[in-house]
Amino acid sequence: MSAKRHTSSKHVVGQVLKYALLTAGAFVMIVPFLWMISTSLTPDSVIFSYKLVPKSVTFSNYVKAWNFSRNFDEDVSLGTFFINSVIVSFFITVPSLIIDSLAGYVLARRRIPGRDLLFYMALATMMVPFYVIAIPLYLVVRKLGWLETYQGMIVPFLGSGFGIFMFKQFFQALPEDLEDAARVDGCSPFRTYASIMLPLSKPVIATMTIFKVMWSWNLFFWPLLIINNIRLKTLPLALTMFRGLNVTQWGTLCAGMSIATIPVVIVYLSMQDQFQKGITMGAVKG
Amino acid sequence: MKKPALRKVGETLELYTMVAPAYMVFLVFIFIPVAWAFYLSFFNYSILSLTSPKFTGLRNYTRVIRDPVFRVALWNTIRYSLYTVVPRMVLGLVFALLLDQKHLVGKNVFRACYFLPVVTSMVAASIVWSLVLNASPNGLANQFLALFGAAPKGWLADSRLAMPSVCVMSVWKDLGYVMTIYIAGLQGVPMELYEAGAVDGVTAWQRIRYITIPLLRPTTFFILVTEVLGSFQVFTQTYVMTEGGPGYSTTTMINLLYSRGFREFDMGYASGLAVILFVGLLVLSWTLRRVFRADEIVY
Repeated sequence: MSAKRHTSSKHVVGQVLKYALLTAGAFVMIVPFLWMISTSLTPDSVIFSYKLVPKSVTFSNYVKAWNFSRNFDEDVSLGTFFINSVIVSFFITVPSLIIDSLAGYVLARRRIPGRDLLFYMALATMMVPFYVIAIPLYLVVRKLGWLETYQGMIVPFLGSGFGIFMFKQFFQALPEDLEDAARVDGCSPFRTYASIMLPLSKPVIATMTIFKVMWSWNLFFWPLLIINNIRLKTLPLALTMFRGLNVTQWGTLCAGMSIATIPVVIVYLSMQDQFQKGITMGAVKG
Repeated sequence: MKKPALRKVGETLELYTMVAPAYMVFLVFIFIPVAWAFYLSFFNYSILSLTSPKFTGLRNYTRVIRDPVFRVALWNTIRYSLYTVVPRMVLGLVFALLLDQKHLVGKNVFRACYFLPVVTSMVAASIVWSLVLNASPNGLANQFLALFGAAPKGWLADSRLAMPSVCVMSVWKDLGYVMTIYIAGLQGVPMELYEAGAVDGVTAWQRIRYITIPLLRPTTFFILVTEVLGSFQVFTQTYVMTEGGPGYSTTTMINLLYSRGFREFDMGYASGLAVILFVGLLVLSWTLRRVFRADEIVY
Protein backbone atom coordinates (compact mmCIF):
# COMPACT_ATOMS: atom_id res chain seq x y z
CA MET A 1 0.00 0.00 0.00
CA SER A 2 2.67 2.47 1.05
CA ALA A 3 4.80 1.43 -1.89
CA LYS A 4 1.92 2.16 -4.18
CA ARG A 5 1.34 5.57 -2.64
CA HIS A 6 5.02 6.24 -3.02
CA THR A 7 4.96 5.55 -6.75
CA SER A 8 1.80 7.56 -7.26
CA SER A 9 3.16 10.64 -5.46
CA LYS A 10 6.29 10.25 -7.55
CA HIS A 11 4.01 10.08 -10.54
CA VAL A 12 2.30 13.34 -9.55
CA VAL A 13 5.64 15.09 -9.12
CA GLY A 14 6.69 13.81 -12.55
CA GLN A 15 3.48 15.10 -14.11
CA VAL A 16 3.85 18.53 -12.52
CA LEU A 17 7.47 18.72 -13.65
CA LYS A 18 6.51 17.71 -17.16
CA TYR A 19 3.84 20.38 -17.53
CA ALA A 20 6.05 22.99 -15.88
CA LEU A 21 8.84 22.27 -18.37
CA LEU A 22 6.51 22.27 -21.36
CA THR A 23 4.85 25.51 -20.26
CA ALA A 24 8.16 27.25 -19.58
CA GLY A 25 9.45 26.15 -22.98
CA ALA A 26 6.30 27.27 -24.76
CA PHE A 27 6.46 30.62 -22.99
CA VAL A 28 10.04 31.20 -24.14
CA MET A 29 9.02 30.33 -27.68
CA ILE A 30 6.14 32.79 -27.89
CA VAL A 31 7.48 35.59 -25.71
CA PRO A 32 9.23 37.38 -28.59
CA PHE A 33 5.92 37.38 -30.50
CA LEU A 34 3.98 38.72 -27.54
CA TRP A 35 6.54 41.42 -26.93
CA MET A 36 6.58 42.31 -30.63
CA ILE A 37 2.81 42.79 -30.62
CA SER A 38 2.85 44.67 -27.34
CA THR A 39 5.60 46.99 -28.59
CA SER A 40 3.74 47.52 -31.85
CA LEU A 41 0.80 48.85 -29.82
CA THR A 42 2.91 51.12 -27.61
CA PRO A 43 3.09 54.78 -28.66
CA ASP A 44 6.59 55.64 -29.81
CA SER A 45 6.59 58.74 -27.66
CA VAL A 46 6.70 56.69 -24.47
CA ILE A 47 10.36 55.74 -24.30
CA PHE A 48 11.57 53.05 -21.90
CA SER A 49 8.22 51.38 -21.65
CA TYR A 50 8.27 48.56 -24.19
CA LYS A 51 6.89 46.11 -21.68
CA LEU A 52 5.25 42.74 -22.25
CA VAL A 53 1.93 44.37 -21.43
CA PRO A 54 1.55 47.82 -22.97
CA LYS A 55 0.54 50.66 -20.66
CA SER A 56 -1.29 52.59 -23.35
CA VAL A 57 -2.46 51.30 -26.70
CA THR A 58 -2.35 52.90 -30.13
CA PHE A 59 -2.82 51.57 -33.64
CA SER A 60 -1.09 54.50 -35.29
CA ASN A 61 2.16 52.51 -35.50
CA TYR A 62 0.48 50.18 -37.97
CA VAL A 63 -0.43 53.09 -40.25
CA LYS A 64 3.12 54.44 -40.00
CA ALA A 65 4.62 51.02 -40.73
CA TRP A 66 2.32 50.40 -43.68
CA ASN A 67 3.40 53.71 -45.24
CA PHE A 68 7.00 53.55 -44.05
CA SER A 69 8.40 52.86 -47.52
CA ARG A 70 6.81 56.01 -48.93
CA ASN A 71 9.88 57.79 -47.56
CA PHE A 72 11.82 56.10 -50.34
CA ASP A 73 9.17 55.98 -53.06
CA GLU A 74 5.82 57.74 -52.87
CA ASP A 75 3.95 54.93 -54.66
CA VAL A 76 5.21 52.05 -52.56
CA SER A 77 3.61 50.77 -49.35
CA LEU A 78 3.94 47.48 -47.48
CA GLY A 79 1.11 46.28 -49.73
CA THR A 80 3.45 46.49 -52.72
CA PHE A 81 5.88 44.11 -51.05
CA PHE A 82 3.06 41.73 -50.14
CA ILE A 83 1.95 41.66 -53.77
CA ASN A 84 5.53 41.08 -54.94
CA SER A 85 5.94 38.21 -52.49
CA VAL A 86 2.65 36.69 -53.64
CA ILE A 87 3.69 36.97 -57.29
CA VAL A 88 7.08 35.37 -56.69
CA SER A 89 5.70 32.58 -54.48
CA PHE A 90 2.86 31.79 -56.85
CA PHE A 91 4.98 31.68 -59.99
CA ILE A 92 7.61 29.55 -58.32
CA THR A 93 5.17 27.15 -56.66
CA VAL A 94 2.66 26.36 -59.40
CA PRO A 95 4.98 25.91 -62.42
CA SER A 96 7.57 24.02 -60.38
CA LEU A 97 4.91 21.62 -59.06
CA ILE A 98 4.00 20.83 -62.68
CA ILE A 99 7.62 20.55 -63.82
CA ASP A 100 8.65 18.37 -60.86
CA SER A 101 5.65 16.08 -61.09
CA LEU A 102 6.09 15.58 -64.86
CA ALA A 103 9.70 14.53 -64.38
CA GLY A 104 8.84 12.53 -61.27
CA TYR A 105 6.17 10.61 -63.16
CA VAL A 106 8.45 9.68 -66.06
CA LEU A 107 11.29 8.64 -63.75
CA ALA A 108 8.94 6.55 -61.61
CA ARG A 109 6.77 4.79 -64.18
CA ARG A 110 8.34 4.89 -67.64
CA ARG A 111 11.39 3.35 -69.27
CA ILE A 112 13.49 5.76 -71.27
CA PRO A 113 17.18 5.45 -72.12
CA GLY A 114 19.26 7.25 -69.50
CA ARG A 115 16.54 7.21 -66.88
CA ASP A 116 18.90 6.29 -64.03
CA LEU A 117 21.35 8.97 -65.09
CA LEU A 118 18.56 11.54 -65.07
CA PHE A 119 17.55 10.46 -61.58
CA TYR A 120 21.11 10.74 -60.27
CA MET A 121 21.35 14.19 -61.82
CA ALA A 122 18.23 15.23 -59.92
CA LEU A 123 19.78 13.90 -56.70
CA ALA A 124 23.06 15.68 -57.49
CA THR A 125 21.29 19.04 -57.64
CA MET A 126 20.32 18.53 -54.00
CA MET A 127 23.99 18.24 -53.06
CA VAL A 128 24.80 21.74 -54.32
CA PRO A 129 24.40 24.43 -51.67
CA PHE A 130 22.84 27.53 -53.19
CA TYR A 131 25.57 29.83 -51.90
CA VAL A 132 28.19 27.88 -53.86
CA ILE A 133 26.62 28.79 -57.20
CA ALA A 134 25.40 32.28 -56.23
CA ILE A 135 28.16 34.14 -58.10
CA PRO A 136 27.97 32.28 -61.43
CA LEU A 137 24.17 32.24 -61.17
CA TYR A 138 24.27 35.99 -60.78
CA LEU A 139 26.40 36.17 -63.94
CA VAL A 140 24.01 33.85 -65.84
CA VAL A 141 21.00 35.92 -64.84
CA ARG A 142 22.85 39.11 -65.74
CA LYS A 143 23.66 37.66 -69.20
CA LEU A 144 19.97 36.91 -69.65
CA GLY A 145 19.20 40.51 -68.76
CA TRP A 146 17.13 39.42 -65.78
CA LEU A 147 18.67 41.49 -63.00
CA GLU A 148 15.95 43.61 -61.36
CA THR A 149 13.12 41.48 -62.79
CA TYR A 150 10.49 39.07 -61.50
CA GLN A 151 11.65 36.32 -63.84
CA GLY A 152 15.14 36.67 -62.37
CA MET A 153 13.69 35.83 -58.95
CA ILE A 154 11.50 33.01 -60.28
CA VAL A 155 12.91 31.02 -63.21
CA PRO A 156 16.09 29.68 -61.52
CA PHE A 157 13.86 27.80 -59.04
CA LEU A 158 11.36 26.26 -61.44
CA GLY A 159 12.77 22.75 -61.14
CA SER A 160 13.91 21.10 -57.94
CA GLY A 161 15.65 17.81 -57.35
CA PHE A 162 13.83 17.49 -54.06
CA GLY A 163 10.43 17.92 -55.72
CA ILE A 164 11.23 15.37 -58.42
CA PHE A 165 12.41 12.95 -55.75
CA MET A 166 9.24 13.34 -53.68
CA PHE A 167 6.92 12.92 -56.68
CA LYS A 168 8.91 9.93 -57.92
CA GLN A 169 8.63 8.26 -54.52
CA PHE A 170 4.89 8.88 -54.48
CA PHE A 171 4.19 7.65 -58.02
CA GLN A 172 6.31 4.55 -57.49
CA ALA A 173 4.15 3.51 -54.57
CA LEU A 174 0.95 3.52 -56.67
CA PRO A 175 -0.24 0.11 -57.95
CA GLU A 176 1.18 -1.06 -61.30
CA ASP A 177 -2.12 -1.89 -63.03
CA LEU A 178 -3.38 1.68 -62.82
CA GLU A 179 -1.87 2.57 -66.15
CA ASP A 180 -2.63 -0.69 -67.94
CA ALA A 181 -6.16 0.35 -68.84
CA ALA A 182 -4.88 3.65 -70.15
CA ARG A 183 -2.25 1.83 -72.20
CA VAL A 184 -4.85 -0.44 -73.77
CA ASP A 185 -6.92 2.59 -74.67
CA GLY A 186 -3.86 4.04 -76.40
CA CYS A 187 -3.50 6.98 -74.05
CA SER A 188 -0.37 9.04 -74.61
CA PRO A 189 2.08 9.35 -71.69
CA PHE A 190 1.04 12.93 -71.06
CA ARG A 191 -2.66 12.03 -71.04
CA THR A 192 -1.96 9.18 -68.63
CA TYR A 193 -0.03 11.54 -66.35
CA ALA A 194 -2.65 14.28 -66.49
CA SER A 195 -5.84 12.24 -66.27
CA ILE A 196 -4.83 9.22 -64.18
CA MET A 197 -1.78 9.99 -62.08
CA LEU A 198 -2.27 13.64 -61.14
CA PRO A 199 -5.79 13.23 -59.72
CA LEU A 200 -4.40 10.52 -57.41
CA SER A 201 -1.54 12.63 -56.13
CA LYS A 202 -3.45 15.18 -54.08
CA PRO A 203 -1.65 14.34 -50.80
CA VAL A 204 1.83 14.86 -52.20
CA ILE A 205 0.69 17.97 -54.08
CA ALA A 206 -0.73 19.43 -50.85
CA THR A 207 2.44 18.92 -48.83
CA MET A 208 4.72 20.03 -51.67
CA THR A 209 2.62 23.17 -52.13
CA ILE A 210 3.06 24.15 -48.50
CA PHE A 211 6.76 23.35 -48.65
CA LYS A 212 7.31 25.42 -51.78
CA VAL A 213 5.13 28.35 -50.72
CA MET A 214 6.94 28.61 -47.39
CA TRP A 215 10.30 28.25 -49.05
CA SER A 216 9.68 30.85 -51.75
CA TRP A 217 7.87 33.24 -49.38
CA ASN A 218 11.02 33.39 -47.24
CA LEU A 219 13.58 33.60 -50.07
CA PHE A 220 16.09 36.21 -49.05
CA PHE A 221 19.66 35.77 -50.26
CA TRP A 222 18.91 35.53 -53.97
CA PRO A 223 16.56 38.55 -54.22
CA LEU A 224 19.07 40.46 -52.07
CA LEU A 225 21.65 39.89 -54.81
CA ILE A 226 19.58 40.80 -57.85
CA ILE A 227 16.94 43.30 -56.66
CA ASN A 228 17.65 46.91 -55.76
CA ASN A 229 14.55 48.48 -57.25
CA ILE A 230 12.23 49.15 -54.32
CA ARG A 231 9.16 48.46 -56.46
CA LEU A 232 10.27 44.87 -57.02
CA LYS A 233 11.31 44.07 -53.46
CA THR A 234 9.67 41.11 -51.76
CA LEU A 235 8.61 41.25 -48.13
CA PRO A 236 11.80 39.84 -46.56
CA LEU A 237 13.93 42.33 -48.50
CA ALA A 238 11.65 45.20 -47.62
CA LEU A 239 11.70 44.33 -43.92
CA THR A 240 15.45 44.94 -43.77
CA MET A 241 14.75 48.58 -44.64
CA PHE A 242 13.05 48.91 -41.25
CA ARG A 243 16.42 48.45 -39.59
CA GLY A 244 17.19 52.02 -40.58
CA LEU A 245 14.49 53.28 -38.21
CA ASN A 246 15.53 55.52 -35.39
CA VAL A 247 16.06 53.98 -31.93
CA THR A 248 12.95 55.70 -30.67
CA GLN A 249 10.63 54.10 -33.23
CA TRP A 250 10.44 50.54 -32.01
CA GLY A 251 6.66 50.72 -32.14
CA THR A 252 6.65 51.33 -35.88
CA LEU A 253 9.32 48.71 -36.41
CA CYS A 254 7.39 46.07 -34.46
CA ALA A 255 4.16 47.03 -36.23
CA GLY A 256 5.93 46.33 -39.53
CA MET A 257 7.15 42.95 -38.30
CA SER A 258 3.67 42.12 -36.99
CA ILE A 259 2.06 42.94 -40.33
CA ALA A 260 4.53 40.60 -42.02
CA THR A 261 4.25 37.82 -39.43
CA ILE A 262 0.61 37.64 -38.36
CA PRO A 263 -0.89 36.47 -41.72
CA VAL A 264 1.61 33.59 -41.89
CA VAL A 265 0.83 32.62 -38.29
CA ILE A 266 -2.91 32.62 -38.99
CA VAL A 267 -2.47 30.44 -42.08
CA TYR A 268 -0.28 28.10 -40.05
CA LEU A 269 -2.71 27.83 -37.15
CA SER A 270 -5.61 27.10 -39.49
CA MET A 271 -3.81 24.15 -41.10
CA GLN A 272 -1.33 23.11 -38.45
CA ASP A 273 -1.00 19.44 -39.38
CA GLN A 274 -0.43 19.96 -43.10
CA PHE A 275 2.08 22.66 -42.31
CA GLN A 276 4.15 20.47 -40.04
CA LYS A 277 4.04 17.74 -42.65
CA GLY A 278 4.93 20.12 -45.46
CA ILE A 279 7.89 21.66 -43.74
CA THR A 280 9.32 18.52 -42.22
CA MET A 281 8.62 16.25 -45.18
CA GLY A 282 11.47 14.26 -46.56
CA ALA A 283 12.63 13.71 -43.04
CA VAL A 284 10.44 10.72 -42.33
CA LYS A 285 12.28 7.41 -42.44
CA GLY A 286 15.54 9.22 -43.22
CA MET B 1 4.13 -3.07 -89.54
CA LYS B 2 6.06 0.16 -89.20
CA LYS B 3 3.34 1.83 -87.23
CA PRO B 4 3.99 0.44 -83.72
CA ALA B 5 7.71 1.26 -84.00
CA LEU B 6 6.92 4.79 -85.07
CA ARG B 7 4.51 5.09 -82.21
CA LYS B 8 7.19 3.89 -79.82
CA VAL B 9 9.57 6.59 -81.08
CA GLY B 10 6.85 9.18 -80.72
CA GLU B 11 6.13 8.06 -77.20
CA THR B 12 9.78 8.18 -76.20
CA LEU B 13 10.03 11.69 -77.61
CA GLU B 14 6.99 12.69 -75.62
CA LEU B 15 8.53 11.26 -72.45
CA TYR B 16 11.74 13.22 -73.01
CA THR B 17 9.68 16.35 -73.58
CA MET B 18 8.03 15.77 -70.23
CA VAL B 19 11.33 15.64 -68.33
CA ALA B 20 12.94 18.38 -70.42
CA PRO B 21 11.73 21.50 -68.53
CA ALA B 22 13.20 20.35 -65.22
CA TYR B 23 16.52 19.42 -66.76
CA MET B 24 16.78 22.64 -68.76
CA VAL B 25 16.41 24.55 -65.49
CA PHE B 26 19.05 22.32 -63.87
CA LEU B 27 21.43 22.76 -66.79
CA VAL B 28 21.22 26.54 -67.01
CA PHE B 29 20.79 27.42 -63.34
CA ILE B 30 22.70 24.67 -61.51
CA PHE B 31 25.09 22.58 -63.63
CA ILE B 32 26.55 25.41 -65.71
CA PRO B 33 26.93 27.62 -62.59
CA VAL B 34 28.72 24.82 -60.72
CA ALA B 35 31.21 24.40 -63.56
CA TRP B 36 31.50 28.16 -63.86
CA ALA B 37 32.21 28.51 -60.12
CA PHE B 38 35.20 26.17 -60.47
CA TYR B 39 36.33 28.00 -63.61
CA LEU B 40 36.01 31.46 -62.04
CA SER B 41 38.01 30.39 -59.02
CA PHE B 42 41.13 30.25 -61.24
CA PHE B 43 40.68 33.79 -62.56
CA ASN B 44 41.11 37.27 -61.29
CA TYR B 45 37.63 38.57 -61.96
CA SER B 46 35.56 41.56 -61.00
CA ILE B 47 32.33 42.52 -62.73
CA LEU B 48 33.25 46.15 -62.19
CA SER B 49 36.45 46.09 -64.22
CA LEU B 50 36.30 46.32 -67.98
CA THR B 51 39.35 44.11 -68.49
CA SER B 52 38.64 40.47 -69.23
CA PRO B 53 39.28 37.88 -66.49
CA LYS B 54 42.95 37.01 -66.06
CA PHE B 55 44.06 33.43 -65.36
CA THR B 56 45.82 33.36 -62.02
CA GLY B 57 46.08 29.64 -61.27
CA LEU B 58 45.63 28.82 -57.60
CA ARG B 59 46.13 32.40 -56.45
CA ASN B 60 42.51 32.85 -55.35
CA TYR B 61 42.79 29.78 -53.15
CA THR B 62 46.00 30.91 -51.51
CA ARG B 63 44.49 34.37 -51.01
CA VAL B 64 41.49 32.83 -49.25
CA ILE B 65 43.52 30.50 -47.06
CA ARG B 66 46.05 33.17 -46.08
CA ASP B 67 43.31 35.71 -45.35
CA PRO B 68 43.01 36.23 -41.58
CA VAL B 69 39.35 37.19 -42.02
CA PHE B 70 38.68 33.82 -43.65
CA ARG B 71 40.17 32.06 -40.64
CA VAL B 72 38.03 34.10 -38.29
CA ALA B 73 34.96 33.38 -40.43
CA LEU B 74 35.74 29.65 -40.47
CA TRP B 75 36.14 29.60 -36.70
CA ASN B 76 32.93 31.61 -36.25
CA THR B 77 31.06 29.19 -38.50
CA ILE B 78 32.33 26.20 -36.54
CA ARG B 79 31.34 27.90 -33.28
CA TYR B 80 27.91 28.68 -34.68
CA SER B 81 27.49 25.08 -35.76
CA LEU B 82 28.43 23.72 -32.32
CA TYR B 83 26.37 26.25 -30.37
CA THR B 84 23.23 25.65 -32.42
CA VAL B 85 23.22 22.00 -33.51
CA VAL B 86 23.90 20.50 -30.08
CA PRO B 87 21.28 22.51 -28.12
CA ARG B 88 18.72 22.09 -30.88
CA MET B 89 19.12 18.33 -30.92
CA VAL B 90 19.17 17.90 -27.14
CA LEU B 91 16.23 20.25 -26.49
CA GLY B 92 14.41 18.97 -29.58
CA LEU B 93 14.62 15.41 -28.28
CA VAL B 94 13.63 16.40 -24.72
CA PHE B 95 10.53 18.28 -25.84
CA ALA B 96 9.65 15.60 -28.38
CA LEU B 97 9.73 12.99 -25.59
CA LEU B 98 7.60 15.22 -23.36
CA LEU B 99 5.07 15.85 -26.11
CA ASP B 100 4.89 12.31 -27.47
CA GLN B 101 2.61 11.01 -24.75
CA LYS B 102 -0.87 9.72 -25.14
CA HIS B 103 -2.63 11.57 -22.36
CA LEU B 104 -1.23 15.05 -22.58
CA VAL B 105 -3.56 17.98 -22.04
CA GLY B 106 -3.04 20.77 -24.58
CA LYS B 107 -0.70 18.78 -26.78
CA ASN B 108 -1.63 20.71 -29.92
CA VAL B 109 -1.28 24.06 -28.19
CA PHE B 110 2.23 23.16 -27.05
CA ARG B 111 3.19 21.88 -30.48
CA ALA B 112 1.89 25.07 -32.11
CA CYS B 113 3.91 27.24 -29.71
CA TYR B 114 7.13 25.37 -30.43
CA PHE B 115 6.54 25.35 -34.16
CA LEU B 116 5.52 29.01 -34.48
CA PRO B 117 9.07 30.37 -34.91
CA VAL B 118 9.70 27.85 -37.71
CA VAL B 119 6.96 29.30 -39.90
CA THR B 120 7.89 32.94 -39.39
CA SER B 121 10.28 34.64 -41.75
CA MET B 122 13.93 34.57 -40.69
CA VAL B 123 14.28 38.25 -41.54
CA ALA B 124 11.33 39.32 -39.38
CA ALA B 125 12.48 37.08 -36.53
CA SER B 126 16.02 38.47 -36.76
CA ILE B 127 14.79 42.05 -36.61
CA VAL B 128 12.53 41.40 -33.62
CA TRP B 129 15.37 39.60 -31.87
CA SER B 130 17.75 42.46 -32.50
CA LEU B 131 15.35 44.51 -30.38
CA VAL B 132 15.00 41.73 -27.80
CA LEU B 133 18.81 41.68 -27.56
CA ASN B 134 19.21 45.44 -27.84
CA ALA B 135 21.97 46.92 -25.71
CA SER B 136 19.67 49.57 -24.20
CA PRO B 137 17.71 48.87 -21.01
CA ASN B 138 14.68 48.79 -23.29
CA GLY B 139 15.62 45.44 -24.83
CA LEU B 140 13.57 42.52 -23.53
CA ALA B 141 16.67 40.56 -22.48
CA ASN B 142 17.92 43.52 -20.46
CA GLN B 143 14.46 44.09 -18.96
CA PHE B 144 14.62 40.48 -17.82
CA LEU B 145 18.08 41.00 -16.29
CA ALA B 146 16.77 44.12 -14.53
CA LEU B 147 14.20 41.94 -12.72
CA PHE B 148 17.17 40.44 -10.88
CA GLY B 149 18.86 43.79 -10.47
CA ALA B 150 21.56 42.91 -13.02
CA ALA B 151 23.15 45.57 -15.19
CA PRO B 152 22.13 45.63 -18.87
CA LYS B 153 24.40 43.74 -21.25
CA GLY B 154 25.52 44.66 -24.75
CA TRP B 155 24.43 41.36 -26.34
CA LEU B 156 24.74 41.93 -30.10
CA ALA B 157 26.85 45.04 -29.56
CA ASP B 158 29.39 43.13 -27.46
CA SER B 159 31.91 41.25 -29.59
CA ARG B 160 32.17 38.42 -27.03
CA LEU B 161 28.41 38.00 -26.61
CA ALA B 162 27.32 38.64 -30.20
CA MET B 163 27.87 35.11 -31.54
CA PRO B 164 26.26 33.33 -28.57
CA SER B 165 23.34 35.77 -28.84
CA VAL B 166 22.83 35.00 -32.52
CA CYS B 167 23.00 31.30 -31.64
CA VAL B 168 20.30 31.63 -28.97
CA MET B 169 18.02 33.22 -31.54
CA SER B 170 18.85 30.49 -34.08
CA VAL B 171 18.13 27.70 -31.61
CA TRP B 172 14.80 29.35 -30.80
CA LYS B 173 13.97 29.68 -34.51
CA ASP B 174 14.52 26.05 -35.53
CA LEU B 175 13.96 24.07 -32.34
CA GLY B 176 10.39 23.25 -33.42
CA TYR B 177 11.65 21.78 -36.68
CA VAL B 178 14.02 19.36 -34.97
CA MET B 179 11.37 18.54 -32.37
CA THR B 180 8.76 17.76 -35.02
CA ILE B 181 11.11 15.40 -36.85
CA TYR B 182 11.88 13.66 -33.56
CA ILE B 183 8.15 13.29 -32.89
CA ALA B 184 7.74 11.70 -36.33
CA GLY B 185 10.65 9.39 -35.48
CA LEU B 186 9.13 8.47 -32.12
CA GLN B 187 5.90 7.44 -33.80
CA GLY B 188 7.92 4.89 -35.77
CA VAL B 189 9.14 3.16 -32.61
CA PRO B 190 7.18 -0.11 -32.34
CA MET B 191 4.87 -0.25 -29.30
CA GLU B 192 5.74 -3.88 -28.56
CA LEU B 193 9.22 -2.86 -27.50
CA TYR B 194 7.83 -0.50 -24.87
CA GLU B 195 5.43 -3.19 -23.71
CA ALA B 196 8.28 -5.68 -23.44
CA GLY B 197 10.14 -3.09 -21.42
CA ALA B 198 7.15 -2.55 -19.16
CA VAL B 199 6.99 -6.29 -18.46
CA ASP B 200 10.64 -6.25 -17.49
CA GLY B 201 9.89 -3.40 -15.09
CA VAL B 202 12.27 -0.82 -16.50
CA THR B 203 12.12 2.77 -15.28
CA ALA B 204 11.17 5.64 -17.55
CA TRP B 205 14.80 6.75 -17.78
CA GLN B 206 15.99 3.22 -18.66
CA ARG B 207 13.28 2.98 -21.29
CA ILE B 208 14.43 6.22 -22.91
CA ARG B 209 18.12 5.42 -22.60
CA TYR B 210 18.06 1.80 -23.77
CA ILE B 211 15.01 1.56 -26.02
CA THR B 212 13.97 4.94 -27.38
CA ILE B 213 17.29 6.63 -28.10
CA PRO B 214 18.90 3.64 -29.86
CA LEU B 215 15.76 3.19 -31.98
CA LEU B 216 15.80 6.85 -32.91
CA ARG B 217 19.28 6.49 -34.38
CA PRO B 218 18.24 6.93 -38.03
CA THR B 219 16.24 10.06 -37.12
CA THR B 220 19.13 11.44 -35.08
CA PHE B 221 21.49 10.77 -37.94
CA PHE B 222 19.24 12.52 -40.43
CA ILE B 223 18.82 15.57 -38.18
CA LEU B 224 22.54 15.72 -37.45
CA VAL B 225 23.51 15.75 -41.12
CA THR B 226 20.92 18.30 -42.23
CA GLU B 227 21.55 20.54 -39.21
CA VAL B 228 25.35 20.49 -39.53
CA LEU B 229 25.27 21.14 -43.27
CA GLY B 230 22.63 23.86 -42.80
CA SER B 231 24.57 25.52 -39.98
CA PHE B 232 27.64 25.88 -42.18
CA GLN B 233 25.53 27.95 -44.56
CA VAL B 234 24.19 30.41 -42.01
CA PHE B 235 23.73 33.89 -43.44
CA THR B 236 20.40 35.64 -42.87
CA GLN B 237 20.65 35.99 -39.07
CA THR B 238 24.22 37.23 -39.08
CA TYR B 239 23.46 39.58 -41.95
CA VAL B 240 20.27 41.07 -40.53
CA MET B 241 21.12 41.14 -36.81
CA THR B 242 24.78 42.16 -36.81
CA GLU B 243 26.04 42.43 -40.41
CA GLY B 244 28.90 40.20 -39.31
CA GLY B 245 29.94 42.54 -36.50
CA PRO B 246 30.91 43.96 -34.15
CA GLY B 247 34.30 43.78 -35.83
CA TYR B 248 34.28 40.36 -37.45
CA SER B 249 32.84 38.60 -34.41
CA THR B 250 29.78 37.19 -36.23
CA THR B 251 31.17 37.06 -39.77
CA THR B 252 30.47 33.58 -41.09
CA MET B 253 31.74 32.02 -44.31
CA ILE B 254 28.67 33.12 -46.27
CA ASN B 255 28.85 36.64 -44.84
CA LEU B 256 32.41 36.76 -46.12
CA LEU B 257 31.38 35.37 -49.50
CA TYR B 258 28.65 37.97 -49.76
CA SER B 259 30.77 40.95 -48.79
CA ARG B 260 33.77 39.96 -50.94
CA GLY B 261 31.69 38.91 -53.93
CA PHE B 262 28.85 41.40 -53.93
CA ARG B 263 30.11 44.40 -51.95
CA GLU B 264 33.71 44.49 -53.15
CA PHE B 265 32.96 42.58 -56.37
CA ASP B 266 36.08 40.45 -55.96
CA MET B 267 34.42 37.49 -57.66
CA GLY B 268 37.63 35.51 -58.07
CA TYR B 269 38.21 35.45 -54.33
CA ALA B 270 34.53 34.73 -53.63
CA SER B 271 34.50 31.87 -56.14
CA GLY B 272 37.61 30.38 -54.54
CA LEU B 273 35.83 30.59 -51.20
CA ALA B 274 32.67 29.03 -52.69
CA VAL B 275 34.64 26.07 -54.06
CA ILE B 276 36.45 25.57 -50.74
CA LEU B 277 33.07 25.64 -48.99
CA PHE B 278 31.55 23.17 -51.48
CA VAL B 279 34.39 20.67 -51.17
CA GLY B 280 34.46 21.18 -47.40
CA LEU B 281 30.75 20.42 -47.10
CA LEU B 282 31.02 17.32 -49.29
CA VAL B 283 33.90 16.03 -47.14
CA LEU B 284 31.99 16.89 -43.97
CA SER B 285 28.83 15.07 -45.05
CA TRP B 286 30.87 12.05 -46.21
CA THR B 287 32.71 11.98 -42.87
CA LEU B 288 29.50 12.22 -40.86
CA ARG B 289 28.06 9.37 -42.88
CA ARG B 290 31.15 7.22 -42.33
CA VAL B 291 31.40 7.91 -38.62
CA PHE B 292 27.74 7.40 -37.80
CA ARG B 293 26.89 4.60 -40.19
CA ALA B 294 30.02 2.59 -39.44
CA ASP B 295 28.75 1.17 -36.16
CA GLU B 296 25.11 0.80 -37.14
CA ILE B 297 23.16 -0.90 -34.40
CA VAL B 298 21.05 -3.86 -35.45
CA TYR B 299 17.90 -4.61 -33.53
